[in-house]
Amino acid sequence: MADTTHEEWLAQIDAELDGELSLVERAALAKHLATCGHCAGARASHLEVRVALARSAGNPHALVLPRPAIRAGTLTLWLVVALAAGLVGGWVASHRWGGPGGGGTLEDTRGNIVVQ
Amino acid sequence: MGTLSFSSVLLIIAALQGPGTRLTYRIRVIEPAEVTPRILASGAVSGPLDSDMRLTLRTDTAEVEALFQVTAFGDTVTVAGEFLTRRLVGRSRRDLPLWEEDTYRRLVRMRWSDTARIYPFGAGKRPQGRSPWVELILERHFAGGEARAAEQFALLDSTRDLSIDAVVRPRRARIILNLVRGDTVSGPRPMDLVLEEPPRAVQLVLKGRATTLIVSLTRPDPAQSARARALALDADVVCLRVSQPAILQPLGTICGRLNNIARQLPLPTGDTLAATFAWPGPR
Repeated sequence: MADTTHEEWLAQIDAELDGELSLVERAALAKHLATCGHCAGARASHLEVRVALARSAGNPHALVLPRPAIRAGTLTLWLVVALAAGLVGGWVASHRWGGPGGGGTLEDTRGNIVVQ
Repeated sequence: MGTLSFSSVLLIIAALQGPGTRLTYRIRVIEPAEVTPRILASGAVSGPLDSDMRLTLRTDTAEVEALFQVTAFGDTVTVAGEFLTRRLVGRSRRDLPLWEEDTYRRLVRMRWSDTARIYPFGAGKRPQGRSPWVELILERHFAGGEARAAEQFALLDSTRDLSIDAVVRPRRARIILNLVRGDTVSGPRPMDLVLEEPPRAVQLVLKGRATTLIVSLTRPDPAQSARARALALDADVVCLRVSQPAILQPLGTICGRLNNIARQLPLPTGDTLAATFAWPGPR
């Protein structure tokens, strides 16, 4: 982890707070935090934000930040809504502007003869 | 009295539509402008009463070809227009132009003194910007012995692609026949043939040997393409049917325009018949 950049350490901090780091990675992060005041401060800020979020979610003693759960029914509903909106929007756009030969009725583009 | 009046009307109509009457299509192509409309072109097409006029207008994004025909009846005339339109509607994924083709017919009835305004690019609820229109005035007058079609066209804006053509279906044609063998050619044998008349015998002499052929003039089969049929592109095409005396099976048929080009038909005798089609002289 000698070449790890600052941005990557911040990502490691996020992963650690989510409980996703192995022991080896946690050790490397701890070693870096001991020498990097900036990252240590960032970790403290991240922890404070998570505590605030956990409190607002009604679970101030959570070990990790509770993730929002997406139910299968809700996901399906939104998929159906998005698909329907796409179809309707595509049909309207095609009718209004779409495709070669669109725009105006055929009779508008045809020639005619008027007696004066 | 009623019968007499009806006969008189028929006589008048026959006199107006007879070979002594000449029809003139007088046109002006006009473009709308800020102050006063601008004349892009003007011209006239005249000929026998069954003459048609072909009008062509092309822009970068549209092409209009139209054939106008008139049917006269007393003081009124029916103008029929057969339109073929191509419009550029976009480009393909390979960046090639995509054209939309449209064919339709328009029909109006007017008096001889009326002016018809033709909007070749349409003039519906949404006017097509600065699209030009065509003013058409029909005239009829005494032919004075002149039976050929005539065209007169002045393009005042040379950046525009506009043209008019007289479309006349010949009733007769001048055919010049030659018999050819190697580098020897018989004397020309000119004939005035009338379409769909009974066949006529013609004798051609080459190197002292006489060859008799039976010839007749017919119209060609209808054109294969819809565009050629609609615009009467083969209006001046005639066919010369050639056969031998007392043999029903023809030797062949030569078809071509009346444009002074010799067309050849090999004969079983080893000679070649060269037929040149031309418009007949005035009479």
